[in-house]
Amino acid sequence: MKPYDAIVIGGGHNGLVCAAYLARAGRRVLVLERRERVGGAAFSEQVFPGFTFTVYSYVVSLLRPEIIRDLELPRHGLHVLPLESTLTPLANGDHLAQWSDHDQNRRALARHSPRDAEAYDEFGRTLHQMARAVKPLLGMVPPDPASLAPGDLAGLARLARHFRGMGRGVFHALHKLLTMSAADYLDEWFESEALKGTKSASGIIGTLLGPRSPGTAYVLLHHYMGELDGVFRAWGFAKGGNGSVSAAIAAAARALGAEIRTGTPVARVLVESGRATGVALESGEEIRAGRVVSSADPRRTFLELVGEAHLPGELVEAVRRFRFRGASAKVNLALDALPDFTCLPGPGAHLRGAISISPSVEYLERAYDQAKYGEFSRRPYMDIVIPSMIDPSMAPPGKHVASIFAQYAPYRLNGGWTDARREALGDAVIDTLAEYAPNLKSIILHRQVVTPADIERDVGLSEGSIFQGELSLQQLFSVRPAPGWSKYRTPVEGLYMCGAGTHPGGGVMGAPGRLAALTMLGARR
Amino acid sequence: MSGATVVIGADADALVAAHYLARAGRRALVVDEREAPDAPALEPGWIPPRVVRDLALERHGLVVHAPDPWAAAPLPDGGRLELARDLARSAASTARASRRAAHRRPQFCGRMARLARVLELLYAGPPPDPLARAPGELARMAGLAWRVRRLGRRAIEDLLRVLPMPAADLLDDWFESDELKGLLGLGGVMHLAQGPRSGGTAFALLHGHVGSPPGVFRPPRSNLVEVLARLPGIEVRRGARVARITVRARRAAGIVLATGEEIAADCVVSGIDPRRTLLELVDPAWLDPELVRAVRNVRARGVVARATLLLDREPGFSALTLAPSLDDLERAHDDAKYGRVPQRPALEAHAVDEAADAAGRRRVDVHVQYAPHALAEGAWDSARRAALGDQVVALLAAHLPGGAAAVVERSVRTPLDLEAARGWPQGQMHHAELALDQALWMRPVPALAQYRTPIRALYLGGPATHPGGGIAGAAGANAAREIIRDARRGRL
Repeated sequence: MKPYDAIVIGGGHNGLVCAAYLARAGRRVLVLERRERVGGAAFSEQVFPGFTFTVYSYVVSLLRPEIIRDLELPRHGLHVLPLESTLTPLANGDHLAQWSDHDQNRRALARHSPRDAEAYDEFGRTLHQMARAVKPLLGMVPPDPASLAPGDLAGLARLARHFRGMGRGVFHALHKLLTMSAADYLDEWFESEALKGTKSASGIIGTLLGPRSPGTAYVLLHHYMGELDGVFRAWGFAKGGNGSVSAAIAAAARALGAEIRTGTPVARVLVESGRATGVALESGEEIRAGRVVSSADPRRTFLELVGEAHLPGELVEAVRRFRFRGASAKVNLALDALPDFTCLPGPGAHLRGAISISPSVEYLERAYDQAKYGEFSRRPYMDIVIPSMIDPSMAPPGKHVASIFAQYAPYRLNGGWTDARREALGDAVIDTLAEYAPNLKSIILHRQVVTPADIERDVGLSEGSIFQGELSLQQLFSVRPAPGWSKYRTPVEGLYMCGAGTHPGGGVMGAPGRLAALTMLGARR
Repeated sequence: MSGATVVIGADADALVAAHYLARAGRRALVVDEREAPDAPALEPGWIPPRVVRDLALERHGLVVHAPDPWAAAPLPDGGRLELARDLARSAASTARASRRAAHRRPQFCGRMARLARVLELLYAGPPPDPLARAPGELARMAGLAWRVRRLGRRAIEDLLRVLPMPAADLLDDWFESDELKGLLGLGGVMHLAQGPRSGGTAFALLHGHVGSPPGVFRPPRSNLVEVLARLPGIEVRRGARVARITVRARRAAGIVLATGEEIAADCVVSGIDPRRTLLELVDPAWLDPELVRAVRNVRARGVVARATLLLDREPGFSALTLAPSLDDLERAHDDAKYGRVPQRPALEAHAVDEAADAAGRRRVDVHVQYAPHALAEGAWDSARRAALGDQVVALLAAHLPGGAAAVVERSVRTPLDLEAARGWPQGQMHHAELALDQALWMRPVPALAQYRTPIRALYLGGPATHPGGGIAGAAGANAAREIIRDARRGRL
């Protein structure tokens, strides 16, 4: 049999995207997935009979439109349903609702602050402009600023031209967005606490930083990035759960000729005289290939699969200090009925969107205060969606599933994560949410709590970091995952990286997988 | 060159600007609303050698106080971690705190010194303008880029990685000793309304390192303001409160004092904070609403109180830091961010060398962080001020010979007091917090970063402009050079 051109380690969405692009270019590709199913963290399953949970990742926001197009994902079953609103219930029984419909949104905001309603449009325009300015960076291989190679110098020159071409206003606004805290940035625009709280929440997701820490403003931009593509609005929900995103990409990859083996854990990358020649499975089997590309995070890839012996000391040091610090937990609920929110009783359109427990910046900051000393938040930030409202197939008729993303639940919990602590976290989440939806406790049929330790163990993401490493400024672009190694290559010839630990990072975006594949294809004569 | 310049404010930067303008042949009048200089004997801040040389400060009695050891922190075993200015000498003391720290410190210090050197290059002139089109500015940026590249791959990588980091992460990467990390971590949050776990505090740590030898992470202290005030060549009028800046046909024409007295000038330089300068002293109608909004948004939150103690005996240290760990610092910040005085504020005490009076009493200046400008409950009053003083004495007592009894007199200044006495907005010493979004071409806001304002002949030259507070006199010198350049081109 013809040997494989490339082996992809890990069948998460980035690994699958990478494999699909390689297969599309005519390469013979083998994807090796440790678990019985593909999808990594973008994975849905019937945890309880009849109820499908998107166990970990639960929304699609940034899946690159060129990937959807190139891989013809809709033809392979991808169907994204938009989330039309965000509801922020408040302790006093009031609420803030944000709608994708412009006029409806304006009216809802004006109820809290006419000034904010006024500022909202300009805020949107400013962020839209910046998203436009940043977007090309997401699609480019970051140049190495310390290198004198012609390719890097050309990349730097292109980058300089890009920044200088965006105009003074946008450049300075971008500088602020990259270096400010979400709280300070939003203070410049808005006065309503609920609006600032809810907006700043997007800056802390997946990161062990509070909304008042500089560096948290940048992620606000991601919301607007999705809108820019015009394919779907900022946040969407994949029909059948996020597992169906992976399933669609896997189907596309298979259709393009890639081979996918599940239940096949890789033990290590075979390295012979500085060159990757294949992989050894945990079963002992060895599979040879011209190239190996790992979608595992940098720590797993370099320190476990490759091993320090094959790597320069500086890279090992850089990987060791790469910050993961998972801070997010998931609580998935099977519900007998819909939750009834005090602020908006009964069923309604608000249950088809996201529900955000983020009444103020201070609420989030206090949640963080506990986490930074190693405790989970007693009153966490939560982002809740009820997928069965949008896709009834997720639950038996009349019943529902709810997906609760909760933060902060630090990976390094004092005393470590135990079954008891996991359930205590679940209780804190339910207790807090029940303050806003009093019927909650009586409608829960089943509950699944997923801590960062569970994510690490089950999905293989180090420290349960949902982005394969924090998306903080010092871990982005040319320094992601390590200075000098931001271009999907590694010091081991023939070994590449394609996970979220590389530029442009996490989220169900697929961009690292695509850029890695393009790099590998470009590197071949 | 001739013409009269009015300089508002008599702090280090303003005085330096006045002297540079005087040297260029302009008449410089400095007006300050305070009756007498309020500055304590020694103010922290590194003075760029060029300013020392240009103004012959040493000849006029400049005393730079660089204590050795430059920092000390108590260790749990009763000893002290003492950091000498000479790296090799402090190795033994560092080893007491942690053997690993002693081993890693030289490498850490070398890498940080290289980064501080990059900042020093950037601080020597006006901020670079990355969007500039002028050939001169492009050439300057190319020169800067070239010099940075020459520092090598590691320095470039460190620059990208370290500046946006939390000081806590940076220190955790290198050290284990809580005392060492607490001491260095305080350098990362000095005068900043952030805890050591906040992003960008590594930049603040490096900012305070600029100009110091490798391993020394606190700026020296000097009598700069006093020397500048008595240095001949300029006129200083005290007790003169500026009511407004006169603007005629979009150009500054002088000032009007609170007494009604008008002083004509063909150039006005403000060393006070930009918000007061542009929103109170100038009719905002002269300004673009965008700029007004940007200036309003300049962050200047005061978080520091100062205590002065008089001791009846030798304090037994030249510098002493009480910031036992990064967590302690962070917890102190937690309190302050909700408007509470921390249970355990971080303290940094400096003993003044000379006896304070004939009785031989010794003065100790104490930096107290964090003390919020606005309290969540109630307001600063004499009782709360006294309570803070009690806290400071109680925390220091264990480290003073004779304990609390050694303190015979004390006074405390809250951020509110410092605002009133020094004109620091909200008690913020740097007039604008030194954070990455308010540094370089963003300081204090992009439209004002080159010291010019939309009003011709009105300039900013205080610590709110590049390179900012803590680099004594650099902003003033930069502003003066820009003014002289404008005058030479007939653009004043």
